[in-house]
Amino acid sequence: MALSRRQFVQTAGIGAGAALTSSVWGRGRENSVWSAFEAELQAVEKGVICIASNENPVGPGKKVLDSLRALLEGGARPGRYSNQTGELTEAICAHFKVKPENVLLSEGSTEILRAATQVFTAKTKPLVGTIPTYEECAGYAELIGNPVHGVKLSSEFKIDLDPFLAASKGAGLVFYCNPNNPTATYVGAKATRDFLSKLNSASPDTTVLIDEAYFDYVTDPDHQTHVPIALENPRVIVARTFSKAYGMAGLRQGYAIGHPDTIKKMRPWVGSSGTGSLNVFGLAAATVAIAQDNTFTTNERNRNKAVREMVTKWFADRGMKPTDCQANFMFVNIGTPAKAFREACRAKGVMVARDFPPFEKTHARISLGTMEEMTKAVQVFGDVLAKKSTAAA
Amino acid sequence: MSVSRRGFLQGLGVGRTAHVSAFMAARGHEEYVAEAMEPQGGQGGRPMRPNLPPGVEAIRISSNENPLGPGKAAIAAVLGKFPEANRYPFNSTPLDADLEILIAKLNAGKRENVVLGVGSQELLKNAARVFMSPTRHLVIPSPTYGDPAGFAQNALHYTLKSAPVSEKTLKTDLSVLLPLVKGAGLVYLCNPNNPTGTINSAQEIKDFIAEVKKTSPTTAVLIDEAYCDYASDPSFATAIPIALATPGVVVARTFSKAYGMAGVRIGYALGDAATIKKMTAWRMPYNVNTFGVAAAVASLKDPQHIKDESARNKAVRDFTIKALADLGYPSTESQTNFIFTDIGKTMTAAAFRDACAAKGVMVGRDFPPLEKQWTRISLGTMEEMQKATEVFRSVLKPATTTASGKGQ
Repeated sequence: MALSRRQFVQTAGIGAGAALTSSVWGRGRENSVWSAFEAELQAVEKGVICIASNENPVGPGKKVLDSLRALLEGGARPGRYSNQTGELTEAICAHFKVKPENVLLSEGSTEILRAATQVFTAKTKPLVGTIPTYEECAGYAELIGNPVHGVKLSSEFKIDLDPFLAASKGAGLVFYCNPNNPTATYVGAKATRDFLSKLNSASPDTTVLIDEAYFDYVTDPDHQTHVPIALENPRVIVARTFSKAYGMAGLRQGYAIGHPDTIKKMRPWVGSSGTGSLNVFGLAAATVAIAQDNTFTTNERNRNKAVREMVTKWFADRGMKPTDCQANFMFVNIGTPAKAFREACRAKGVMVARDFPPFEKTHARISLGTMEEMTKAVQVFGDVLAKKSTAAA
Repeated sequence: MSVSRRGFLQGLGVGRTAHVSAFMAARGHEEYVAEAMEPQGGQGGRPMRPNLPPGVEAIRISSNENPLGPGKAAIAAVLGKFPEANRYPFNSTPLDADLEILIAKLNAGKRENVVLGVGSQELLKNAARVFMSPTRHLVIPSPTYGDPAGFAQNALHYTLKSAPVSEKTLKTDLSVLLPLVKGAGLVYLCNPNNPTGTINSAQEIKDFIAEVKKTSPTTAVLIDEAYCDYASDPSFATAIPIALATPGVVVARTFSKAYGMAGVRIGYALGDAATIKKMTAWRMPYNVNTFGVAAAVASLKDPQHIKDESARNKAVRDFTIKALADLGYPSTESQTNFIFTDIGKTMTAAAFRDACAAKGVMVGRDFPPLEKQWTRISLGTMEEMQKATEVFRSVLKPATTTASGKGQ
């Protein structure tokens, strides 16, 4: 069954009357405007705690910023086109022990998601993804007029592997977001490998795009990247971004790793295959960031884990159990519509995320800020949710 | 790996040992598209580069970049953004939307008249996607900036119709384009035109658009004004007011030229609301980087810097055109930060480029169908161009060997 994006949501139990404006369901445009026409402008004002967009609250770190600063204050001028993608490519190659032909740089990972959808879906080869997941691939498939099939998550809000496998047969592209946004759940490395292997046998022409945007936040013991499989198997691609654990959402730098044949097919569809499409700030910062030893990501993972445990416990103590969170955000059954919760929190200086159909009547996605921010934020949650239950009583 | 200062400078295109990477840093977008790549290179392969003598610091006048980069206000704005590197463009200050609003205000439009792009590149490509189809072709003058045609043909497999620029002046000849527009999806005009440097006057553009709308009402017109800030001819004017008032007319702009931010990747397009809405549907989410947004906002608030840059460039342009004219090589009437010069009586563009590269000066690539005769030279600083014109002099008029008693 081919579904349009709208039907994709409706099948999942959303009424036609739900707010399916493009700005909500649009392009995973997080809490902001997708369309340029909305009046709503959401600058993070001073003092506001922004835990809406799964950003790393502490940024890329001193080493990266000091390097950039030295560069700019030293008189470097970003007046030249940045055909200078070689250094970042080399740094990524060194990090993963891969070759340049395995790497495709991009403007955020968004561009990788679009390129894969462009190349591997067709009128007769749908995109398959979970409901819900990060929407960029589905949105782009719709834009280019290719069908989308949605598969519900399991009762634990995880990718439900058996039905997902069944639905993926014959697909052009399977979008496998792991950990999944917005539900924060993770499928272990072994189960993912089994899925890939079964799908590859059952449907050898189907490509799987594994989005590892939140990879560095996973603490599950069965935690491994699928880069090695992508290097071997032309039907598997791994997307990565510098927007999450590396703290550079503003600098728009991402990449894919895959088999040379696969990367080659996607290359014409990323701007970086024309010259100078990657900004020099992102290139320079990402080069330093990924060249650091893994202390940086380990520290960030641990910092996030401590915050996650605090917030998880806070909700659990109040009978609101988050999903098994393996990312820098949580998906919590607050038992009340996300919109009302969001607006009430916003009035108290805390920004949480947009609606995530089909769970927007009950679940909120809350990104994890610093411990200090979250200590304040849970007080706001307490006020807001207490008021709700009082009002309901 | 600790990345040295030097490594960073390369990242920003400042270059170290020039023969290795500076050339790549200086490459303009169109050159990449046009030239062969080494398949094994980094991102998309490495552009081929002429050989520079070891240790020679190149003068890079090949990619129509502003040699001075952005103004101080823009750099200060970028430094001020560091604490927000972790924020998406829709959460940062200024917002990407703030830039849209500022652009709208400066052009007497509204926010719905503006769409931002990763440079103008994204906008040019998206225009092809929005307005063209397998049965709705592209119309361009030849030669012009190659990106829209390259994308339309190579990626989208759409068709192209082109007509030559005026033989005498190399000006875009709108009268020969008109017969091609019936049923076209899109007409692409670059004004001032790259690589010829010439303009079409405000009146010519206005009349042309009116004719297109009469002949082929559903054909869109995209006017790329990348170099508009360098135009000094009073007959030139932006087509933005026409775009705002005319469905299916879009003007694309960039911060990569006079604003000196080729490496920052911010461009924008203006048009009427319904037209821009179509373009926005294809806009990549979070497409512009926050440092670039801050730099762009700061730059737009510093118009004097652009006036100064335009005047600086004009002085260099006048100097360089005269230096080549004095050698007997005429240039077109350039209204840009590059010149297009007829060296055909002495050598081809390729021979000129190789000979200049051997002396540390990088000039533009071939621009077919004029590559046997015409070369494109971007304008560096006055100091750079004084050195460069010395090189041109020696290359174009090789010193005759002094037959000094060696019996030759």
